[in-house]
Amino acid sequence: MVRSGKQALVAALQSALTAEEAASYGYGVVGAHLTGTEFNLAATDCAIHERARDTLFAMITALGATPAPAAVAYRLPLVVSTPREAASLATDLELGVVAGYLDLTGAGDRALRKLAATRMQEAAVRAAHWGGSPQAFPGLATPR
Amino acid sequence: MAVRQAQAQPARRALLAFTIAAAGSAWLAGCKGIAALGPVPGVPGDVRTLEQAIAAEEALVMLYKGATGQLPRTAAVIAAIGAEHEAHLSHLRARLILPPRLARTKIAPSSGMPSLPADRAGVLGALAAQERAAAVRLTGQLADAPAGLAKLLASISASEAAHVVYLRRAGSS
Repeated sequence: MVRSGKQALVAALQSALTAEEAASYGYGVVGAHLTGTEFNLAATDCAIHERARDTLFAMITALGATPAPAAVAYRLPLVVSTPREAASLATDLELGVVAGYLDLTGAGDRALRKLAATRMQEAAVRAAHWGGSPQAFPGLATPR
Repeated sequence: MAVRQAQAQPARRALLAFTIAAAGSAWLAGCKGIAALGPVPGVPGDVRTLEQAIAAEEALVMLYKGATGQLPRTAAVIAAIGAEHEAHLSHLRARLILPPRLARTKIAPSSGMPSLPADRAGVLGALAAQERAAAVRLTGQLADAPAGLAKLLASISASEAAHVVYLRRAGSS
């Protein structure tokens, strides 16, 4: 099925929104296992994702579409019971956000593409801060 | 698609030139001749974007090769990041297939690529500055690129932005 430009844009925005919603939820779990400086860092990152989520929600609404509602709970990629596992989850969440914005870099106007790329870069930087390893193609399962 | 466009242009030009030649010299005398074709089409924008991205990655690969011998204590990090730049370069090159006649002269990667300082902190700082600049440059380039290329450039830009963190960490260890 061929999507119109607007449909593709809304789908790309929904993908980014879903990733930001998952990150907003996941950082609650991350923060629950951290203290001190690391807790503050998690709280800061969580607030960044919540703001981004709200922005995307407004963008989708402005296009006349219905934003995908946040899930009540998310299946996390790992069980978290230690600060180290919490940092690992934060890395996974950020890489999920990198992937979530990927389609938006190829849709929409120039400003939106640049915004999506910047959000990908910022999330990749946060993933590295939380202990991630270098990745040649973050967000791309298989480079095409 | 860029390749298809790039390959289609010479064929189209050749066909048009043939059609005009076949019309005969009497007809040509009363018109603008070959000028009627208008200017020769330039290189498509996405091809130019790819060429610029390839030139920038070539420069980064060279920079990391130069840094490898200078930083024995952080050789593993430098090698890992250098290998990622080689992977970027490889995937970018794979997207650019042009007939030899259309292949442009290689763009000199001289846009501010520095020689590396002598001290360790200076080298890591210079590499980090180049990574930041590369991420910003790619962000501008992908805004006008076809969707598939834009995604690849965005992914590479995220990879390069994160390199700054690994370089900083290597500097403080």
